[in-house]
Amino acid sequence: MRKVDVIIVGASLSAAAAAKRLIDSGLETVILERKALPRHKICSGILSPRGHRFLIENFGPLPREALHEPTACRGVTFHFPSMVSMSMDFFGGTTPHLHRKYSDHWAIKQSRAEVHDETSFAGLEDRGDHVLVHARKHGEPLEYRARWVIGADGPSSLVTRAIYPDYPKQIPWFFVGQKFHEIIDCPLDEQYFHFWFHPGLGHYTWSHARDGRQIVGVGFKRGDNFAAKHANVVNYLSEKHGVKLQEHTDDEGCAENFGPSLINRYVFGKGNVLITGQAAGFLNMIGEGMSCALHSGAISGEAVVEARLRNRPVQEMYRKMIVSEVRRTSDQWNPLKIAFDRPHEADFPAALAALSWRERGLVMRDLWRFVVLYKEFKWGRQIASAALQRPLLGGYSMMKWL
Amino acid sequence: MNTPSSFTPSDCPVGPDSLTQITRRQTNPTRWHGAGWTDFAGALRAAGVDLLESLAACGAFATDAGGTAYGMPHGMVIAKSAQQISSLLKIAQRFGVPVTVRGGGLTTEGESVAFGGVLLDMTGMSRVQTIDAGALTVRTQTGIFWHSLAEELRREGLDYLSAPLNLTSTVGGSLNVGGIDVNSPRLGCSADQAIALQIVTPTGEIVECSETENAAQFQRAILGYGQFCVITEATLKIRRYTPVRMQYFYYSSLTTAVEDLQRLDRDDASDYSGILTIMDSAVNLLVAFDSDEREAAFNQRWKAQLRGHGELGFALRALPRYLLQPWKWPEALYLLRRKKQLFPEFRRPEYVRDGLMQDRTVVFSRAVWKYWGSRQMVIPDLATSAEKFVAAVTRGNAVCRKYFPHYTLYCVGIKLRDDHKPHYELSCIPPDAEGWAYGCEFEPMMDRVYSRDHLQSFKNEIYDIGLDIGASYYRFGGMMKGYIRRAFGDEMVDRHLAMKQQADPAMILNRNVVF
Repeated sequence: MRKVDVIIVGASLSAAAAAKRLIDSGLETVILERKALPRHKICSGILSPRGHRFLIENFGPLPREALHEPTACRGVTFHFPSMVSMSMDFFGGTTPHLHRKYSDHWAIKQSRAEVHDETSFAGLEDRGDHVLVHARKHGEPLEYRARWVIGADGPSSLVTRAIYPDYPKQIPWFFVGQKFHEIIDCPLDEQYFHFWFHPGLGHYTWSHARDGRQIVGVGFKRGDNFAAKHANVVNYLSEKHGVKLQEHTDDEGCAENFGPSLINRYVFGKGNVLITGQAAGFLNMIGEGMSCALHSGAISGEAVVEARLRNRPVQEMYRKMIVSEVRRTSDQWNPLKIAFDRPHEADFPAALAALSWRERGLVMRDLWRFVVLYKEFKWGRQIASAALQRPLLGGYSMMKWL
Repeated sequence: MNTPSSFTPSDCPVGPDSLTQITRRQTNPTRWHGAGWTDFAGALRAAGVDLLESLAACGAFATDAGGTAYGMPHGMVIAKSAQQISSLLKIAQRFGVPVTVRGGGLTTEGESVAFGGVLLDMTGMSRVQTIDAGALTVRTQTGIFWHSLAEELRREGLDYLSAPLNLTSTVGGSLNVGGIDVNSPRLGCSADQAIALQIVTPTGEIVECSETENAAQFQRAILGYGQFCVITEATLKIRRYTPVRMQYFYYSSLTTAVEDLQRLDRDDASDYSGILTIMDSAVNLLVAFDSDEREAAFNQRWKAQLRGHGELGFALRALPRYLLQPWKWPEALYLLRRKKQLFPEFRRPEYVRDGLMQDRTVVFSRAVWKYWGSRQMVIPDLATSAEKFVAAVTRGNAVCRKYFPHYTLYCVGIKLRDDHKPHYELSCIPPDAEGWAYGCEFEPMMDRVYSRDHLQSFKNEIYDIGLDIGASYYRFGGMMKGYIRRAFGDEMVDRHLAMKQQADPAMILNRNVVF
């Protein structure tokens, strides 16, 4: 049995960030990844400025192979059913369009952590002074003995399920899928990530250019039909925006958990097991999860270091330190923050102010209709509660975290 | 769309999160790859240099006082002599192994953290060699803590001139970065007190230098942030020991207090001066004197002109303000609690006798570590000319208010010496300062646990003010590297880089600090 200080499950960006902090502090760290590296990852690849800052400051300039074409994204364009469109540049300039297969692998290598790929996490037992981690490599069982475990294995986290078997039933799940189309004609500016606030299309509808093709993606409550939803979006883009695409050549999709950041229902683990990144529920408002994954991943690593140095429970350290990241992420969904502050990394209030009064009215009406789409999840009271906590408590209540 | 070979910061300026207009670069270094380490370690041991490689030995130096940068050396060497350091640096040059030098480890941006390679612990060289009471000089190894040096000097009825208000900073560390005391408005920084040095260059030459001997190396060594040499011995100016008599004046306005501080400095009205605050609510201007005559002159000429008040006067003025603003009662309670904690500390009978403070460094260091610091010292700073100082302090104060419920500010002046201008280049002394430079440290109360990202964002926002108003900084490592070119311009930084490359061909010495 291999004995290490920390096992990180998943070879994602949050894992790389956590590993960087742990390795820097001299902790023996092993990353378990079920696929062979470099591995494919479903993602738009559009990184926020804050995430880009983290990558450069901790891992250095990105290699070209870690980028898709176009290599940079200038900002976000919001489209509304009333046919008002708002383009917003990211604060400070363009950000990279990551090729997750290679960017994640590059960051993992830069962290200097030891990686055991093709090794699937199969379960854990927290024994108090250590955690026994069960895994499988090529069908053969493996065991690791670690002082701490960090689950950085994405929204459908097996580590989360191992410690909270009922958690997946407690939150609504969405499916997000994207299809790749050869372009006949696409008037959408390829420098921007395009997002539609349209309740008739889906809960999360987007399109952007990648490597000469156009991605059309849609997110919806799990159980609906991807092909039908996607066809609806393609028809809409064709009719309303003049986007002419050939039949798709590839498609992919995965489960997503939009709710936790919105209603402050994060899951951070228990005992010696920490959950981080999107597994913990971090997701920014435009569905960008990489920047909060990087930062929360780093904080999970810092928490282990601090717990060791201060001889305090790691959960205590993690929950105290993660407060800043919860604030940053949940602020992006907080209606009061959106209305009176600038929680995002592109200037929505300024873009709104640039519209005519009539257009502003249409945008607000369309936004309201879009929000109503989420009514079935009964999040209204929770959103209002979280929004009020922010000015009154200076943050969000820890009571709702798992 | 262009297709660059790599996505570098110059291709892609990144959005703010406090860092405005800074070209991004890797500031949290990737651990050195360790190539050739085994051969290097063998060569070092063959040369008689002890190298410790155990996790326990290296782990003790995983971070610095700032606690936001962590790194592990591959091995560590405890400094014993200039010859030993010379051997280490010669072999490190040959193998390209980075060497990070550490004194008290009181850096806050990772300057004394080794991201792989060798960590050279200078505290092994901590002997006082000679004290010349007639010429008022001391020759000492530079790994000595200032408080140990003070102990030796006090036995002879002597004292150092100016040293940081921190018991565990070393002489060598202070000569490299400045070192500021509450008598710096009269005497300059600690680094200004050095008359001569013994240094070991990055290529291993042992050189004696001063203003008259190897002057260029002397200029680069002082305030050099460890880029051009390891300072192994120093001859420092000293003085006769005198206890000091303190007076405190309390303000509710930062601006007024800073203006009064600068006025006292300009008029040479006191021997010591500085500002310590409890947030911006209780601003304490402290002045002190080496002699009754100086204090009497102050009382006669300047005291009445100060706009601050005594403890009681301040309390009587603050009371109605807080009574009328009930939402500020928690703040008032905090002030009272701090007063109850702090004030006895400044009057402890073992350090204060007959109204005279016997050792200001001990008194202030104890208080700083006990009531301001924690296991982390997060103290971004701004160093400006006298004219820009009020703006720097008030803007930095607003940033503190934004990030933390409780904090303190420490402001002090530094008398500049025209003949030391070559030392000051690319240092904490701002290029546009004439007569005095002023520094302000912004120190949050670490009464809860914060993520490094939160602390770094706070620091960045303070540093951004410096760029905006044209200031310098006391701290240079880590995140600061991105600021240095913006603050000093490419010409100056490139000139120093060329000097560095010439002096240190393999760029092994303290490689992640400035360049």
